[in-house]
Amino acid sequence: MAYKPQYYPGTTSVGVNRRKHMSGDLEKLRDLSDADVVTIMGHRAPGSDYPSTHPPLAEMGEPDCPIRQLVTPTPGAAAGDRIRYSQFADSMYNAPAIPYFRSYWGAINCRGCDPGTLSGRQIIEARERDIEQYTKVQMDSEMTDPALATMRGCTVHGHSLRLDEDGMMFDMLARTELGSDGNVYYVKDQVGIPLDRKVNAGKPMSDAETKKRTTIFRCDNISFGGPCTAEKRTLDEGLITLHHMWERRSKWGFRPE
Amino acid sequence: MVTKSDTEPVQVEIFPQRFLKPATAQRLLEEIYKSGGILRIMVQGPNLPRAVPYGPGKGIPIEEHMNMLLELGDQALELRVKVGRIWLELDNEERIEEVKAACERVLPYTFSIKRKQLFHTKPTVSDYAKYGSEVEDKRILGLVDPKAKRERDLAILSDTGGDA
Repeated sequence: MAYKPQYYPGTTSVGVNRRKHMSGDLEKLRDLSDADVVTIMGHRAPGSDYPSTHPPLAEMGEPDCPIRQLVTPTPGAAAGDRIRYSQFADSMYNAPAIPYFRSYWGAINCRGCDPGTLSGRQIIEARERDIEQYTKVQMDSEMTDPALATMRGCTVHGHSLRLDEDGMMFDMLARTELGSDGNVYYVKDQVGIPLDRKVNAGKPMSDAETKKRTTIFRCDNISFGGPCTAEKRTLDEGLITLHHMWERRSKWGFRPE
Repeated sequence: MVTKSDTEPVQVEIFPQRFLKPATAQRLLEEIYKSGGILRIMVQGPNLPRAVPYGPGKGIPIEEHMNMLLELGDQALELRVKVGRIWLELDNEERIEEVKAACERVLPYTFSIKRKQLFHTKPTVSDYAKYGSEVEDKRILGLVDPKAKRERDLAILSDTGGDA
Protein backbone atom coordinates (compact mmCIF):
# COMPACT_ATOMS: atom_id res chain seq x y z
CA MET A 1 0.00 0.00 0.00
CA ALA A 2 1.36 3.40 -0.94
CA TYR A 3 2.29 5.62 1.97
CA LYS A 4 -0.19 8.41 2.61
CA PRO A 5 1.10 11.29 4.71
CA GLN A 6 -1.10 12.13 7.70
CA TYR A 7 0.35 15.62 8.22
CA TYR A 8 -1.42 16.59 11.43
CA PRO A 9 -3.44 14.89 14.18
CA GLY A 10 -6.80 15.86 15.62
CA THR A 11 -10.46 15.54 14.81
CA THR A 12 -11.51 19.18 15.18
CA SER A 13 -12.17 21.46 12.21
CA VAL A 14 -8.91 23.21 13.09
CA GLY A 15 -7.06 19.91 12.77
CA VAL A 16 -8.77 19.25 9.42
CA ASN A 17 -7.87 22.75 8.16
CA ARG A 18 -4.28 22.36 9.28
CA ARG A 19 -4.06 19.10 7.34
CA LYS A 20 -5.49 20.85 4.29
CA HIS A 21 -2.93 23.63 4.48
CA MET A 22 -0.04 21.24 4.92
CA SER A 23 -1.13 18.90 2.15
CA GLY A 24 -1.77 21.77 -0.27
CA ASP A 25 -5.27 20.43 -0.93
CA LEU A 26 -6.76 23.93 -0.78
CA GLU A 27 -10.05 25.25 -1.98
CA LYS A 28 -9.74 28.07 -4.50
CA LEU A 29 -12.07 30.91 -3.54
CA ARG A 30 -11.11 33.74 -5.89
CA ASP A 31 -8.98 34.39 -8.94
CA LEU A 32 -6.61 37.32 -8.86
CA SER A 33 -4.82 38.02 -12.11
CA ASP A 34 -1.05 37.52 -12.30
CA ALA A 35 -0.66 41.26 -12.90
CA ASP A 36 -2.60 42.05 -9.71
CA VAL A 37 -0.40 39.78 -7.61
CA VAL A 38 2.76 41.27 -9.15
CA THR A 39 1.42 44.78 -8.50
CA ILE A 40 0.78 44.10 -4.82
CA MET A 41 4.17 42.45 -4.38
CA GLY A 42 5.84 45.54 -5.86
CA HIS A 43 9.12 43.95 -6.94
CA ARG A 44 8.69 44.63 -10.67
CA ALA A 45 6.17 46.29 -12.96
CA PRO A 46 3.58 43.85 -14.34
CA GLY A 47 4.58 42.74 -17.83
CA SER A 48 8.20 43.79 -17.49
CA ASP A 49 11.09 41.37 -17.94
CA TYR A 50 12.43 39.43 -14.99
CA PRO A 51 15.80 40.87 -13.93
CA SER A 52 18.33 38.09 -13.45
CA THR A 53 21.31 37.46 -11.22
CA HIS A 54 22.94 34.86 -13.46
CA PRO A 55 22.53 33.54 -17.00
CA PRO A 56 20.00 30.72 -17.57
CA LEU A 57 21.33 27.43 -16.23
CA ALA A 58 21.18 25.88 -19.72
CA GLU A 59 23.72 28.45 -20.93
CA MET A 60 25.97 28.25 -17.90
CA GLY A 61 27.29 24.75 -18.37
CA GLU A 62 26.74 23.22 -14.98
CA PRO A 63 29.35 20.95 -13.39
CA ASP A 64 28.86 17.22 -13.46
CA CYS A 65 26.89 16.69 -10.25
CA PRO A 66 24.56 13.77 -9.42
CA ILE A 67 22.28 16.02 -7.35
CA ARG A 68 21.86 18.49 -10.20
CA GLN A 69 21.00 15.58 -12.46
CA LEU A 70 18.40 14.34 -9.99
CA VAL A 71 16.72 17.65 -9.19
CA THR A 72 14.97 19.59 -11.92
CA PRO A 73 15.47 23.31 -11.33
CA THR A 74 12.38 25.46 -10.72
CA PRO A 75 11.46 27.81 -13.62
CA GLY A 76 12.89 30.75 -11.68
CA ALA A 77 16.17 29.00 -10.93
CA ALA A 78 16.48 27.79 -14.54
CA ALA A 79 16.05 31.35 -15.80
CA GLY A 80 18.43 32.88 -13.23
CA ASP A 81 15.83 35.11 -11.50
CA ARG A 82 16.50 37.25 -8.47
CA ILE A 83 15.37 36.04 -5.04
CA ARG A 84 12.27 37.97 -3.98
CA TYR A 85 9.75 37.60 -1.16
CA SER A 86 6.15 37.93 -0.13
CA GLN A 87 5.14 38.29 3.48
CA PHE A 88 1.72 37.95 5.08
CA ALA A 89 0.35 39.06 8.41
CA ASP A 90 -2.63 37.07 9.71
CA SER A 91 -5.01 38.34 12.35
CA MET A 92 -5.41 36.32 15.52
CA TYR A 93 -9.18 36.83 15.10
CA ASN A 94 -9.72 33.57 13.26
CA ALA A 95 -7.61 34.29 10.19
CA PRO A 96 -7.57 31.20 7.97
CA ALA A 97 -3.79 30.75 8.10
CA ILE A 98 -1.16 31.35 10.74
CA PRO A 99 2.59 31.71 10.25
CA TYR A 100 3.42 28.09 11.13
CA PHE A 101 0.94 26.66 8.66
CA ARG A 102 1.92 29.03 5.88
CA SER A 103 5.46 27.77 6.48
CA TYR A 104 4.43 24.13 6.52
CA TRP A 105 2.50 24.75 3.30
CA GLY A 106 5.54 26.41 1.73
CA ALA A 107 8.07 23.87 2.90
CA ILE A 108 5.97 20.88 1.81
CA ASN A 109 4.39 22.18 -1.39
CA CYS A 110 6.66 24.83 -2.88
CA ARG A 111 9.96 23.88 -4.45
CA GLY A 112 13.00 26.07 -3.98
CA CYS A 113 11.52 28.34 -1.32
CA ASP A 114 12.70 29.52 2.06
CA PRO A 115 9.85 30.07 4.52
CA GLY A 116 10.49 32.24 7.55
CA THR A 117 8.16 31.91 10.51
CA LEU A 118 7.68 34.77 12.94
CA SER A 119 5.14 35.43 15.66
CA GLY A 120 2.74 37.62 13.69
CA ARG A 121 3.92 37.38 10.11
CA GLN A 122 5.33 34.87 7.71
CA ILE A 123 7.69 35.41 4.80
CA ILE A 124 8.51 33.14 1.88
CA GLU A 125 11.54 33.82 -0.29
CA ALA A 126 12.10 32.22 -3.66
CA ARG A 127 13.14 32.99 -7.22
CA GLU A 128 10.98 35.80 -8.59
CA ARG A 129 8.73 33.91 -10.98
CA ASP A 130 8.36 31.08 -8.45
CA ILE A 131 7.39 33.35 -5.56
CA GLU A 132 4.82 35.10 -7.76
CA GLN A 133 3.18 31.77 -8.42
CA TYR A 134 3.31 30.72 -4.75
CA THR A 135 1.88 34.07 -3.67
CA LYS A 136 -0.98 33.77 -6.11
CA VAL A 137 -1.89 30.36 -4.70
CA GLN A 138 -1.97 31.86 -1.20
CA MET A 139 -4.08 34.83 -2.23
CA ASP A 140 -6.53 32.82 -4.33
CA SER A 141 -7.12 30.00 -1.90
CA GLU A 142 -8.76 29.56 1.47
CA MET A 143 -5.42 30.37 3.12
CA THR A 144 -6.28 34.04 2.81
CA ASP A 145 -9.20 36.14 3.91
CA PRO A 146 -8.53 39.61 2.45
CA ALA A 147 -9.83 41.33 5.59
CA LEU A 148 -7.86 39.24 8.08
CA ALA A 149 -4.69 38.52 6.11
CA THR A 150 -2.73 41.20 4.30
CA MET A 151 0.49 41.12 2.32
CA ARG A 152 2.82 43.28 4.37
CA GLY A 153 6.48 43.56 3.51
CA CYS A 154 7.23 45.94 6.36
CA THR A 155 5.42 47.57 9.30
CA VAL A 156 3.43 44.39 9.79
CA HIS A 157 1.82 45.32 13.12
CA GLY A 158 -1.75 44.00 13.26
CA HIS A 159 -1.80 40.27 14.04
CA SER A 160 -2.53 40.63 17.75
CA LEU A 161 -4.53 43.86 17.67
CA ARG A 162 -8.28 44.29 17.74
CA LEU A 163 -9.97 44.63 14.36
CA ASP A 164 -11.18 47.93 12.95
CA GLU A 165 -14.87 48.76 13.11
CA ASP A 166 -15.38 47.43 9.58
CA GLY A 167 -13.77 44.08 10.42
CA MET A 168 -10.42 44.78 8.74
CA MET A 169 -7.15 43.96 10.49
CA PHE A 170 -5.40 47.10 11.76
CA ASP A 171 -2.78 48.38 9.33
CA MET A 172 -0.47 51.22 10.26
CA LEU A 173 0.23 51.97 6.60
CA ALA A 174 -3.40 51.73 5.40
CA ARG A 175 -2.50 49.37 2.55
CA THR A 176 -6.00 47.95 2.18
CA GLU A 177 -9.47 49.43 2.36
CA LEU A 178 -12.98 48.03 2.35
CA GLY A 179 -14.74 49.33 -0.76
CA SER A 180 -18.39 50.34 -0.89
CA ASP A 181 -19.04 47.24 -3.04
CA GLY A 182 -17.94 44.99 -0.15
CA ASN A 183 -14.60 44.04 -1.71
CA VAL A 184 -11.22 44.62 -0.11
CA TYR A 185 -8.88 46.72 -2.25
CA TYR A 186 -5.13 47.10 -2.04
CA VAL A 187 -4.32 50.78 -2.51
CA LYS A 188 -0.63 50.33 -1.72
CA ASP A 189 1.89 47.60 -2.40
CA GLN A 190 3.24 45.41 0.38
CA VAL A 191 5.76 48.03 1.54
CA GLY A 192 3.31 50.95 1.56
CA ILE A 193 4.05 52.58 -1.81
CA PRO A 194 0.78 53.87 -3.33
CA LEU A 195 -0.45 52.00 -6.42
CA ASP A 196 -1.61 53.63 -9.66
CA ARG A 197 -4.83 51.63 -9.47
CA LYS A 198 -6.69 49.81 -6.74
CA VAL A 199 -6.35 46.04 -6.79
CA ASN A 200 -9.41 44.01 -5.87
CA ALA A 201 -8.47 41.22 -3.44
CA GLY A 202 -11.98 39.83 -3.11
CA LYS A 203 -14.74 39.81 -0.54
CA PRO A 204 -14.01 39.22 3.15
CA MET A 205 -15.32 36.02 4.69
CA SER A 206 -18.24 36.14 7.08
CA ASP A 207 -17.67 35.48 10.79
CA ALA A 208 -19.13 32.00 10.44
CA GLU A 209 -16.89 31.30 7.45
CA THR A 210 -13.71 32.40 9.23
CA LYS A 211 -14.60 30.27 12.23
CA LYS A 212 -15.05 27.31 9.92
CA ARG A 213 -11.83 27.80 7.94
CA THR A 214 -9.41 28.96 10.62
CA THR A 215 -6.31 27.04 11.68
CA ILE A 216 -6.26 28.85 15.02
CA PHE A 217 -7.41 27.22 18.22
CA ARG A 218 -9.32 29.81 20.23
CA CYS A 219 -11.40 29.56 23.37
CA ASP A 220 -14.27 31.40 21.68
CA ASN A 221 -14.30 29.04 18.70
CA ILE A 222 -12.60 25.62 18.68
CA SER A 223 -10.35 25.25 21.68
CA PHE A 224 -7.69 22.65 22.38
CA GLY A 225 -9.75 20.93 25.04
CA GLY A 226 -13.24 22.38 25.32
CA PRO A 227 -14.14 25.51 27.28
CA CYS A 228 -11.35 26.73 29.56
CA THR A 229 -13.80 26.85 32.46
CA ALA A 230 -15.02 23.24 32.07
CA GLU A 231 -14.42 20.95 35.03
CA LYS A 232 -12.99 18.23 32.85
CA ARG A 233 -11.36 19.06 29.56
CA THR A 234 -11.15 16.62 26.70
CA LEU A 235 -7.88 17.38 25.00
CA ASP A 236 -7.67 17.34 21.23
CA GLU A 237 -5.34 14.77 19.73
CA GLY A 238 -3.28 17.68 18.42
CA LEU A 239 -2.54 18.85 21.93
CA ILE A 240 -1.78 15.36 23.18
CA THR A 241 0.70 14.96 20.33
CA LEU A 242 2.21 18.35 21.10
CA HIS A 243 2.62 17.36 24.77
CA HIS A 244 4.18 14.10 23.69
CA MET A 245 6.68 15.87 21.42
CA TRP A 246 7.44 18.44 24.09
CA GLU A 247 8.05 15.77 26.68
CA ARG A 248 10.33 13.72 24.42
CA ARG A 249 12.20 16.77 23.23
CA SER A 250 12.68 18.04 26.75
CA LYS A 251 13.80 14.72 28.15
CA TRP A 252 15.92 13.28 25.40
CA GLY A 253 16.12 15.72 22.59
CA PHE A 254 13.72 15.53 19.66
CA ARG A 255 14.88 12.58 17.59
CA PRO A 256 12.08 11.20 15.43
CA GLU A 257 13.25 7.81 14.15
CA MET B 1 -10.26 68.79 32.66
CA VAL B 2 -13.14 71.11 33.33
CA THR B 3 -15.26 70.44 36.35
CA LYS B 4 -14.53 71.27 39.95
CA SER B 5 -16.20 69.05 42.50
CA ASP B 6 -16.10 68.28 46.22
CA THR B 7 -16.88 64.59 45.76
CA GLU B 8 -14.32 61.83 45.40
CA PRO B 9 -13.29 61.43 41.74
CA VAL B 10 -13.41 58.01 40.06
CA GLN B 11 -11.46 56.67 37.11
CA VAL B 12 -12.87 54.37 34.45
CA GLU B 13 -11.55 52.70 31.36
CA ILE B 14 -13.69 52.27 28.26
CA PHE B 15 -12.44 49.33 26.21
CA PRO B 16 -14.37 48.74 22.96
CA GLN B 17 -14.28 45.37 21.25
CA ARG B 18 -12.94 46.99 18.08
CA PHE B 19 -10.83 50.02 17.24
CA LEU B 20 -12.89 53.14 16.69
CA LYS B 21 -12.98 55.15 13.50
CA PRO B 22 -12.11 58.82 14.11
CA ALA B 23 -15.75 59.83 13.54
CA THR B 24 -17.01 57.31 16.11
CA ALA B 25 -14.38 58.39 18.63
CA GLN B 26 -15.40 62.01 18.07
CA ARG B 27 -19.10 61.21 18.61
CA LEU B 28 -18.37 59.18 21.72
CA LEU B 29 -16.23 61.86 23.32
CA GLU B 30 -18.85 64.50 22.51
CA GLU B 31 -21.54 62.41 24.18
CA ILE B 32 -19.39 61.81 27.25
CA TYR B 33 -18.39 65.44 27.44
CA LYS B 34 -22.03 66.52 27.18
CA SER B 35 -22.98 64.41 30.16
CA GLY B 36 -20.53 66.48 32.24
CA GLY B 37 -18.37 65.76 35.26
CA ILE B 38 -15.22 65.09 33.28
CA LEU B 39 -11.95 65.86 35.02
CA ARG B 40 -9.53 64.17 32.66
CA ILE B 41 -9.73 62.29 29.37
CA MET B 42 -7.00 60.22 27.76
CA VAL B 43 -7.29 58.38 24.44
CA GLN B 44 -4.87 55.59 23.65
CA GLY B 45 -4.22 53.20 20.79
CA PRO B 46 -1.66 52.16 18.20
CA ASN B 47 0.26 54.94 16.52
CA LEU B 48 -0.82 56.16 13.09
CA PRO B 49 2.37 57.43 11.46
CA ARG B 50 2.31 60.37 9.07
CA ALA B 51 4.87 58.71 6.78
CA VAL B 52 6.04 55.18 6.05
CA PRO B 53 8.62 54.54 8.79
CA TYR B 54 10.65 51.66 7.32
CA GLY B 55 11.51 49.90 4.10
CA PRO B 56 11.79 50.96 0.47
CA GLY B 57 8.85 53.36 0.86
CA LYS B 58 10.37 55.15 3.86
CA GLY B 59 9.25 58.76 4.05
CA ILE B 60 6.24 58.48 1.72
CA PRO B 61 3.36 60.40 3.32
CA ILE B 62 0.33 58.37 4.47
CA GLU B 63 -2.55 60.55 3.31
CA GLU B 64 -5.16 58.48 5.16
CA HIS B 65 -3.69 59.58 8.49
CA MET B 66 -3.52 63.30 7.76
CA ASN B 67 -5.84 65.97 9.11
CA MET B 68 -7.74 63.87 11.62
CA LEU B 69 -9.00 66.12 14.36
CA LEU B 70 -10.66 65.44 17.69
CA GLU B 71 -12.75 68.46 18.56
CA LEU B 72 -14.06 68.77 22.06
CA GLY B 73 -15.44 71.86 23.75
CA ASP B 74 -13.36 74.81 22.67
CA GLN B 75 -10.30 72.75 21.75
CA ALA B 76 -9.12 70.61 18.87
CA LEU B 77 -6.36 68.00 18.96
CA GLU B 78 -4.75 66.23 16.03
CA LEU B 79 -5.61 62.56 16.33
CA ARG B 80 -2.40 60.56 16.06
CA VAL B 81 -3.59 57.14 17.23
CA LYS B 82 -6.27 54.61 16.34
CA VAL B 83 -8.57 54.95 19.31
CA GLY B 84 -8.70 51.67 21.20
CA ARG B 85 -9.01 52.71 24.83
CA ILE B 86 -10.33 55.74 26.65
CA TRP B 87 -9.48 56.62 30.23
CA LEU B 88 -11.72 59.01 32.08
CA GLU B 89 -11.58 60.68 35.44
CA LEU B 90 -15.07 61.61 36.58
CA ASP B 91 -16.02 63.81 39.46
CA ASN B 92 -18.14 61.17 41.17
CA GLU B 93 -19.29 57.59 40.94
CA GLU B 94 -22.76 58.39 39.66
CA ARG B 95 -21.31 59.66 36.41
CA ILE B 96 -20.30 56.12 35.43
CA GLU B 97 -23.85 55.24 34.46
CA GLU B 98 -24.03 58.30 32.20
CA VAL B 99 -20.79 57.28 30.52
CA LYS B 100 -22.14 53.79 30.05
CA ALA B 101 -25.30 55.15 28.47
CA ALA B 102 -23.25 57.34 26.12
CA CYS B 103 -21.20 54.28 25.05
CA GLU B 104 -24.36 52.28 24.43
CA ARG B 105 -25.74 55.07 22.24
CA VAL B 106 -22.61 55.50 20.12
CA LEU B 107 -20.52 52.34 20.00
CA PRO B 108 -21.51 49.85 17.30
CA TYR B 109 -19.80 46.95 19.12
CA THR B 110 -19.68 45.65 22.64
CA PHE B 111 -17.41 47.34 25.14
CA SER B 112 -16.34 47.05 28.72
CA ILE B 113 -16.17 49.76 31.34
CA LYS B 114 -13.92 49.08 34.29
CA ARG B 115 -13.38 51.23 37.30
CA LYS B 116 -9.80 51.25 38.53
CA GLN B 117 -6.86 53.48 39.40
CA LEU B 118 -5.54 54.49 35.99
CA PHE B 119 -3.55 57.70 36.25
CA HIS B 120 -0.55 57.58 38.54
CA THR B 121 -0.62 59.81 41.56
CA LYS B 122 3.05 60.41 42.25
CA PRO B 123 5.59 61.78 39.74
CA THR B 124 7.70 59.06 38.15
CA VAL B 125 11.34 59.42 37.11
CA SER B 126 10.12 60.28 33.59
CA ASP B 127 7.85 62.98 35.05
CA TYR B 128 10.81 64.34 36.99
CA ALA B 129 12.88 64.47 33.80
CA LYS B 130 10.05 66.13 31.89
CA TYR B 131 8.53 68.52 34.42
CA GLY B 132 11.22 68.92 37.10
CA SER B 133 10.80 68.44 40.83
CA GLU B 134 7.68 70.58 41.11
CA VAL B 135 4.74 69.58 38.94
CA GLU B 136 2.64 72.68 38.47
CA ASP B 137 -0.67 70.91 37.82
CA LYS B 138 -0.81 67.37 39.22
CA ARG B 139 -3.65 66.46 36.85
CA ILE B 140 -1.07 66.16 34.10
CA LEU B 141 0.48 63.09 35.76
CA GLY B 142 -0.19 59.99 33.67
CA LEU B 143 -2.17 61.95 31.12
CA VAL B 144 0.40 61.92 28.32
CA ASP B 145 3.34 59.64 27.69
CA PRO B 146 6.87 60.89 28.34
CA LYS B 147 7.63 61.61 24.69
CA ALA B 148 4.43 63.59 24.09
CA LYS B 149 4.60 67.27 23.31
CA ARG B 150 2.41 69.32 25.58
CA GLU B 151 1.27 71.78 22.94
CA ARG B 152 0.53 69.00 20.41
CA ASP B 153 -0.92 66.18 22.51
CA LEU B 154 -2.61 67.89 25.43
CA ALA B 155 -5.58 70.26 25.55
CA ILE B 156 -7.03 72.05 28.53
CA LEU B 157 -10.74 72.69 28.18
CA SER B 158 -12.36 75.71 29.72
CA ASP B 159 -14.52 75.40 32.84
CA THR B 160 -17.56 76.49 30.87
CA GLY B 161 -17.69 73.28 28.82
CA GLY B 162 -19.51 70.11 29.89
CA ASP B 163 -22.31 70.02 32.45
CA ALA B 164 -24.48 71.62 29.82
